[in-house]
Amino acid sequence: MDLVLQLLFTGIGIGAVYALVALGFVLIFRATNVVNFAQGEFSMVAAYLMVVFAVDLGWPYWLSFLLALAGMALLGAIFNLGVYYPLRHRSFLPVIIATIGASILMANSVLAIYGPQPQVLEGWFETPGIQLGPVYLDSQYLLIIAVTIVLVIFNYWFFEHTMLGKKLQATSQDKEMASLLGISVSTMIMITFIYSAVLGGLAGILVAPVLFVSIQMGSTIALKAFAATIIGGFGDVAGAIIGGLALGIIETFGAAYISVPYKDGFAFLVLVAFLVFRPQGIFGERVAEKA
Amino acid sequence: MRLTRREFAAGIAAGVAAPYVLRSANAQAATIKIGMCVPVTGPAAEQGLWAQNGAKLALAAVNKAGGVLGKQVELVIEDDQTTNPGIVLAFSKLAAQSDIVGFLGSIRSTQVHAMAPDVLKLGKPVMIGGTDPTLTHMNNPWLFRYRPNDSYSGRVIADFGVNTLGKKKWAIVHSTDAFGTAGGKALASALEKLGTPPVLDQGYANQSQDFTPVVLAVKQSGADVLGTYFTFENDIGIFARQLRQLGVNIPWVGSPSVVAVSSTKLAGPALYGTYGVADYAEESSEASKAFGKAYRDAYKFAPDNQSGWTYDAITVLSAAINKAGSTDPGKIREAILSTKKFPGAEGEYNFDQNGDGLHGYNVVRNEKGTIVYDKHIEFDD
Repeated sequence: MDLVLQLLFTGIGIGAVYALVALGFVLIFRATNVVNFAQGEFSMVAAYLMVVFAVDLGWPYWLSFLLALAGMALLGAIFNLGVYYPLRHRSFLPVIIATIGASILMANSVLAIYGPQPQVLEGWFETPGIQLGPVYLDSQYLLIIAVTIVLVIFNYWFFEHTMLGKKLQATSQDKEMASLLGISVSTMIMITFIYSAVLGGLAGILVAPVLFVSIQMGSTIALKAFAATIIGGFGDVAGAIIGGLALGIIETFGAAYISVPYKDGFAFLVLVAFLVFRPQGIFGERVAEKA
Repeated sequence: MRLTRREFAAGIAAGVAAPYVLRSANAQAATIKIGMCVPVTGPAAEQGLWAQNGAKLALAAVNKAGGVLGKQVELVIEDDQTTNPGIVLAFSKLAAQSDIVGFLGSIRSTQVHAMAPDVLKLGKPVMIGGTDPTLTHMNNPWLFRYRPNDSYSGRVIADFGVNTLGKKKWAIVHSTDAFGTAGGKALASALEKLGTPPVLDQGYANQSQDFTPVVLAVKQSGADVLGTYFTFENDIGIFARQLRQLGVNIPWVGSPSVVAVSSTKLAGPALYGTYGVADYAEESSEASKAFGKAYRDAYKFAPDNQSGWTYDAITVLSAAINKAGSTDPGKIREAILSTKKFPGAEGEYNFDQNGDGLHGYNVVRNEKGTIVYDKHIEFDD
């Protein structure tokens, strides 16, 4: 039982990271109908910004955190203007290719500026974790889980109970109709990119003390987050969260009870099973309605 | 002025032949070129930088001493992207340059396996750092190793853990790539010969984000000592922290990556007290000390095996070409294989007919972040 609890905690922790990045995927997909393959690089860039502010410049952690998120908001806006906006009237394929190109550009830019050395970023807390009976709770994972819960609540409130959230939803559901109703579609898409970049950045900053800060950190997480969005149902916010958590738990238990080397295999086995038997994902009906 | 048909034909012939003549003349006058496949991008880009540092340091020393065959030596670098397809592409780009006389391949066994068929096809000497023992035993006469292979590291880890630390219940954790699998097997085999077969033999996939299942397996096995073969320092960092957090504090004797500069920095206190077998240990010889000093003077931080083996590879290859008196691949091969008692940063080189230059390992210990030399164990076989 101790083993199960320890694995469950770890699975939820790592799953929450996937969920945060998956959320960024979903929001952009809903707004633009394209997959942003640079979502993982948003996480990596934010983690490096934290290293620059908090480690290199020695600024307070909270200030570095806010500045890194502000930097990500700016990057999200630039990304929208430079990558999505010029191609907005083209089919989804050129846009997807452009996001892949942008992800390579971001990764190599950071490599050129900062070099290949992985960096250490300390966590928020002095104490690395707490021992609760037989289970060790890593404080950083606790923070990640807490932030994910807060974001789930915030997203629900934002999209369902604020005018801006409803405008964003209207834009994602039918751009022409939203435009006829006086909603500025381009502004809504800009806000979506900014919010997604901040979300991706938040995931990167939170996971950096656990996985270290490296050029590859974004792509590794993004691959799993992408799988999580498909499992949850592409385009569904709740699906991204559930998909991410499910993926984290499945791969952790799969590794412990079946095979460690094939840990990643379990995640993608589940992905393939969903693509074959339930391609619309767990929350597929809503996507079908939307289509 | 009208051209005759003969003059026109001569003009065309001269025009066509000119680039070849000029290239040939240029080649005669140019430098001696050595190709280097190295990760500039990808997960091992950091180690790639250390490798380049070591090679460039040796190059500067060789050129300062008069170069090779009276010419300056030039390094031609290609990014292997830390992947198998990447190194195959990088090597093919370098191999296409006919004036490159020798190459530095990878420190990663899996990448050396990937490029080995092309090396055999090309028929020119390639220096490698991969430690999978089979690399120099697969009928490829063009691979020359500048690190001791893992049949030695496995024996040293087992011997040190069993006979010096007095531990009998071993858990082995290894990467499932070519290096990790071969290392894990070598350690298991050495332990069996000592009458202490491992109680756990656990593989993991590179670039894992979480090692909780591996740590729990070690904990449940009841092992009193841990032997590891990790490929990437990031993985060691995450594993070491989780190992200590989940309360596993048994002695740990690992392959060289456990005492590498990057691992020591990333894992911090989680690796304090860890033992490692290291091909490069600064205090192990006068040549190692000299390399350590030169490296620190040039780059302001301590070297490790990532730069040690490339330093030696350039030094030994240059000496071998001088000794051969020619850039003929066969003659260079013979000269490398006849290299004996050559003092290198990684140890004393005595090449055997398989292409293995080193036959022993140092045991070192992480003393609160400083890597301290313990002893050297050399083998005759």
